[in-house]
Amino acid sequence: MKTRDLVLIALFAAIVVVLGLIPPITLGFIPVPITAQSMGVMLAGCILGAKRGALAFLLFLLLVVIGLPVLSGGRGGLAVIAGPSGGFIIGWVVAAFVTGLIAERMVREGQAETRQFIGFFLASVLGGIVVLYAIGMPWVSVVTGTPLLTVATGSLAFIPGDLLKAAIATLAARAVYAGYPLLPART
Amino acid sequence: MLTSLHIEGDSLLHRLPVRLKLIALLMLSIVLFLSSSLALQAIAFVIATGLYLSVGLSPREAFKRVGFVFLTIFFLAAVNLFLLPVAEVAALTLRLMALVLFAATVTATTTISAFMDEVTILLTPLERLGLVRAADVSLALGLVLRFVPDIFARYEAIREAHRARGLPVRPLTIIGPLIILTLKDADTIAAAIDARGFRRQ
Repeated sequence: MKTRDLVLIALFAAIVVVLGLIPPITLGFIPVPITAQSMGVMLAGCILGAKRGALAFLLFLLLVVIGLPVLSGGRGGLAVIAGPSGGFIIGWVVAAFVTGLIAERMVREGQAETRQFIGFFLASVLGGIVVLYAIGMPWVSVVTGTPLLTVATGSLAFIPGDLLKAAIATLAARAVYAGYPLLPART
Repeated sequence: MLTSLHIEGDSLLHRLPVRLKLIALLMLSIVLFLSSSLALQAIAFVIATGLYLSVGLSPREAFKRVGFVFLTIFFLAAVNLFLLPVAEVAALTLRLMALVLFAATVTATTTISAFMDEVTILLTPLERLGLVRAADVSLALGLVLRFVPDIFARYEAIREAHRARGLPVRPLTIIGPLIILTLKDADTIAAAIDARGFRRQ
């Protein structure tokens, strides 16, 4: 691995830590507060691509496991992984990878702006929402014994917020792509 | 800014090797998940609570660390009460709380360097295959710890710039500049690392 890639991975993991320090925003029409950190998965995939995005989150996961309070709200340590939402935190690595794969395939330099927006949005939704919930929800169901269907129904409350995050991540990723493109292209 | 969740101390748990603690945590989770006995989960919960309270955390800090996870557990337990028999819900809840408390105990009694030593050992087989270098993992970890305060300062500067212009502070207008400004440093930092020969390339 090139030193530059290693540095990009570390810097992105550090950005995700800082996103956890930003106070969450509450919006009237969405039941759950939005933490900037959970947008990190979509941003990592869309900005760094599949491999570096996933590695940035693997590094972030390592920070959690070794006992640094890097999750939003100053949480961290093995207790969070052992708890009901542990699957979502481990799932971030896979989610960042899938987001990156889709973004690498769909977004090119020189494309019309709208196509780039669509590419980033699809990547964020499929990787950062669909894949993430496909890992996180069965985990909740297995550790707490709550039937999967009930977990899935309950998770619907988070979907509007997640779609909003995907929209913000799309705009931010496209801004970064225009200003400092790092996303590798894949055919 | 990033203080480890490790607590200074000299208890038996502090002195035990990390590997033993991690294996114990893994074994405990396997045993508790295979058993549906309420008595066993209750005993595990009592022991885990005892261990967690013995590591030297102040009551407030001890509560703060597991409070949020417990809140999720209680919420899901409340949902479960409508769907499953009460005894089963009790067993599931006690199991989860025991595991969370034991995991929090391991975190509180283990230093970051002890964890990193263990990570280095775990990476050895991958290193032999040429897939990853343990030194790179440590370097990346060091870089994160080094740059978090810088990036946070940059976030505050961008926020102040918003205020100065009378703009509302929105994630959308902050995240873009924050990421571009931060990642643009990558080339300089990489050059500095290579110039010092840290990675022997």
